[in-house]
Amino acid sequence: MLLAKQALASALCVSLAAPYGVWAETPARTAAKRLAYQAGQMQGDQRILHALNRFTFGPRPGDVDAVRGIGLEAWFEQQLHPQALDLSDLNARLAKYSAMQLNEEALLARFPSNALVRQAIDGKITPPKDGVDHAIWADAIARQQVKREEKKQAEAAKAAQSGTMTPDAAPVMASGEAPATEALNQAALNSLLDLPADARLAQLTALPQPVLDATLKALRPIERVQLVAGMAPEQKEAVAALEGPERLVAEELIAARLTRELYSAAQLQEVMTDFWLNHFNVFLRKNETMPYALVSYERDVIRPRALGRFEDLLEATAHSPAMLMYLDNAESMGPDSFVAERAARRANAKKKAPEGLNENYARELMELHTVGVNGGYTQADVTEVARMLTGWTLERPQRGGGFIFDADRHEPGTKHALGLKWKEDGETEGRDLLHYLATRPQTAQFISRKLAVRFVADDPPQALVDRMATTYLQSGGDIAEVLRTLFHAPEFWTPSLYHAKVKTPLEYVLSAARASDVQIDNLRPLANELRDLGMPMYGCVPPTGWDAKGATWVSTGALVDRMNFALNLAANRLPGVTSAWTMNDTSVGTMISTGAPTPENEEARLEPMLVPGGLSETTRAAVLQQFNQQMTQAGAAQALNASVRPNLRAMSTQTERQDQVLAGLLLGSPEFQRR
Amino acid sequence: MNRRFFLHRGALAVAGTTALPGFLVRSVLAQTAAPKQRLVVIFQRGAVDGLNVVVPYREKAYYSMRPSIAIPQEQVLDLNGFFGLHPSLSALKPLYDARQMAVVHAVGSPDSTRSHFDAQDYMESGTPGLKSTTDGWLNRALTDEDVRLRAAHTPFRAVAMGAEVPRTLAGSVPALALNNVNNFNVGGRGPAPSAAASAFEAMYGESGDRILHPAGEETFDAVKMLRGANLAQYQPAAGVSYPGSEFGNNMKQIAQLLKADLGVETAFTDVSGWDTHQNQGGVNGQLSNRLHDFGDSIAAFWRDMGDAAENVTLVTMSEFGRTAHENGTGGTDHGHANAMFVLGGHVRGGKVYGRWPGLEKEQLNEGRDLALTTDYRSVVGEVVARSLGATDLDRVFPGAGLDAKNFLRLT
Repeated sequence: MLLAKQALASALCVSLAAPYGVWAETPARTAAKRLAYQAGQMQGDQRILHALNRFTFGPRPGDVDAVRGIGLEAWFEQQLHPQALDLSDLNARLAKYSAMQLNEEALLARFPSNALVRQAIDGKITPPKDGVDHAIWADAIARQQVKREEKKQAEAAKAAQSGTMTPDAAPVMASGEAPATEALNQAALNSLLDLPADARLAQLTALPQPVLDATLKALRPIERVQLVAGMAPEQKEAVAALEGPERLVAEELIAARLTRELYSAAQLQEVMTDFWLNHFNVFLRKNETMPYALVSYERDVIRPRALGRFEDLLEATAHSPAMLMYLDNAESMGPDSFVAERAARRANAKKKAPEGLNENYARELMELHTVGVNGGYTQADVTEVARMLTGWTLERPQRGGGFIFDADRHEPGTKHALGLKWKEDGETEGRDLLHYLATRPQTAQFISRKLAVRFVADDPPQALVDRMATTYLQSGGDIAEVLRTLFHAPEFWTPSLYHAKVKTPLEYVLSAARASDVQIDNLRPLANELRDLGMPMYGCVPPTGWDAKGATWVSTGALVDRMNFALNLAANRLPGVTSAWTMNDTSVGTMISTGAPTPENEEARLEPMLVPGGLSETTRAAVLQQFNQQMTQAGAAQALNASVRPNLRAMSTQTERQDQVLAGLLLGSPEFQRR
Repeated sequence: MNRRFFLHRGALAVAGTTALPGFLVRSVLAQTAAPKQRLVVIFQRGAVDGLNVVVPYREKAYYSMRPSIAIPQEQVLDLNGFFGLHPSLSALKPLYDARQMAVVHAVGSPDSTRSHFDAQDYMESGTPGLKSTTDGWLNRALTDEDVRLRAAHTPFRAVAMGAEVPRTLAGSVPALALNNVNNFNVGGRGPAPSAAASAFEAMYGESGDRILHPAGEETFDAVKMLRGANLAQYQPAAGVSYPGSEFGNNMKQIAQLLKADLGVETAFTDVSGWDTHQNQGGVNGQLSNRLHDFGDSIAAFWRDMGDAAENVTLVTMSEFGRTAHENGTGGTDHGHANAMFVLGGHVRGGKVYGRWPGLEKEQLNEGRDLALTTDYRSVVGEVVARSLGATDLDRVFPGAGLDAKNFLRLT
């Protein structure tokens, strides 16, 4: 102890005598800095847990030991360099989502959107002629045609009922006259299922459309498994796409992202990807092409730049099909542009309102993406910025064509925005604008504050935000540098900040799954849970994104949902999500000699696994009291059987069941709601 | 008498909610049964086409601007010789005729934004044009409630159907968001709380957590109250049948909650699918189908409430209307003023309120939309003053300059 104090004293002397930056950095000075920081801050395992709570989606069993092994500083630097991490486990899990490797155009070509299917039906485009792609398109087309027919008949029936005729209704058919479609009979199905994978797929897709649909619908669960047994990921996707190509894309988009958040070793990169996907929010259901655009948005625009320079992110989002569609800039046209004038002439002929400027993106670019609502811009600025961004549009958006600058849509002339003159210069106007916005002090503050709310506290210390903003400006908007400033800030390690933030639904669901070390074959229950808790993935309608202040998420009946989720997750009641709490050879051995473990034992074993920060006495007492009540009844029954040879299986089943409830209670506890 | 006081302070608090003596629980719950005006707010998200909902069938311009989607004069349900309801709202017509329903036209938010996000935000916060407002007008109205009308407050004072509390109800008064009133249990349904529920309740009840302790207590109070109300046995009033849609189901649940004497003062639900840019349809079609569901659900709710409807006020709103002209794809684009419905026992129904600005080119807003002649805040302001006893309307709607003298007097 004395030694440490002496070391501290001399360290402080050194640091007081020589202000930073004058002398070169030495190991002694680094150590001195660390000692100075650490006085009065979180220490040891609590420090590690705090870092894991904030910079990952929740600690998994073994994480604390792993970080302790290499040291917190080294761990953090590793997390800032995700390209050097071993992601082979993650990539193995992602292999089944092979469609997620495709670009937008290829995705649409293989798994057509409803819009493209309609165009094919109306003869405006030609679907693929052969192979699996042909079958996917043909099936989608057939499905839509059936729907159209049903709709027409419903409307005609209604019109007939109300005594009025709609001009283009089809003649009313008596119900039940639709031609009966038969699925393959069992024998034919069995022989199909017996084929090797390649031949099986070929034969399946060669089936005539109505038969294919009916056959797929009639499959029993075991037959579904057999249908895709031994198939490569692309083949399995093709089979799924036969029932709905768009749904496959949307589901894989969400499943792949959840997989990364759950299992990636590059946790900080995933946390930051989530942060930027929220900051540059795009809504999945804005239009029918959006799910396809989002695949590339997450993979090519956001994730690679999540720890890079903000300006690069901003530029990439501004050019992305996802953002250009979401905030309508793709349709925006300069009122005096060539295209607008031509449209106006046509509109006058047809008595239709002429198209023109759309200010949506211009406004949100400033209000939500860069300088913030108090950033000092006016409504006039919004209009001018919108003018500067005209022409930033998409080539054949419904086919995934990608960004194009259309000079014919660009508003001509000099623009006056944000107190500056911007000479007419095509796409460069917008690029210069983005650079200008990315380098404003207001942007530095806005982004730094958002980061601080996410990582530090709902109401972070302004002094820290200011230092982060300074780092932002001095580093050219380098997010990794800003995060380093945060990581090295004494404020970040203040003991009162431990568990200070309440988890959002996403943080709650992910941390529960990670702490439980679940095996997941099916991500849909997790996606559904997020929806039930009010945070559906990619489902935020307005561009403001989800609120990062966790407290706002628990002020509703959402607590009921969280508690039920915890109980269901722990008891393997979520299909495709399994956890095992007991059962290794040691515990079985113990049981043989000493009987089933008591609730106290199990609680003491599970608690450090699931809630490593520790439970309060109250919570622990409440959990154990429940069990003691139940065990009194069970104990009486056991005493009766004591003379009989102990039934290991019954004991281990009972222990597992008991553990499931215990784990559920721990995962639903007030302590687990915080990070 | 404030129920919260009994349960969480003084001698009874120590025992926790499960140990309250039965007689006290009954007498306290009985407090909430005192009838008072309740307010139901329905938000049509996506900007419903008010001109096809309440049709100005005497306007020639209406027909010339909407060659393929206008509702023919012979098919509207006439309201007052000038306006008529879309025929798919036939379920609401009897309510209008019985003077329980009023219509307001050319009403909405004065802000000119045509962004769904902004306009909904402005309408729900009650401060059009201001993005810095963090709470909603209905929450502020609850805090402003006339003290004399304030009975015991329960967790159900403000309820919203759905997964999260809407902007309209955001604020200092705690609001409860419910997905499904029949499934609001922890660890399974059943006549008694599950073992897990009891464990959780003890945890949260004894926890020192500043946020989770009150939230948890509120939650378990609500769970217990709902269990006591035994809503699973609920049957709508004789002859009432709700549509099977999500909106129909939400209206049914609101009726259940209101009739169960849980202390509901306001209820909120939204309904979407109104953003008809393409293929809107006229007498039949997309909009018609949604209006059918909309009208039938509200009418079913009203009939289900029966005599209790006397003390309910229901108001509908949408973030803005749509263009007066139809567009090139058989639909309409984002517009400005819209129509609102106000139903209630105290409503002077059977009339269309508001000053009609006309649909001639020079009478349109920016040459394209129905112009605004009534601020929606004066309609809603009048309603909250009447039903919630709010008196400080400047606090509920800052900057609106509301004056009771200028109300439409529809209540």
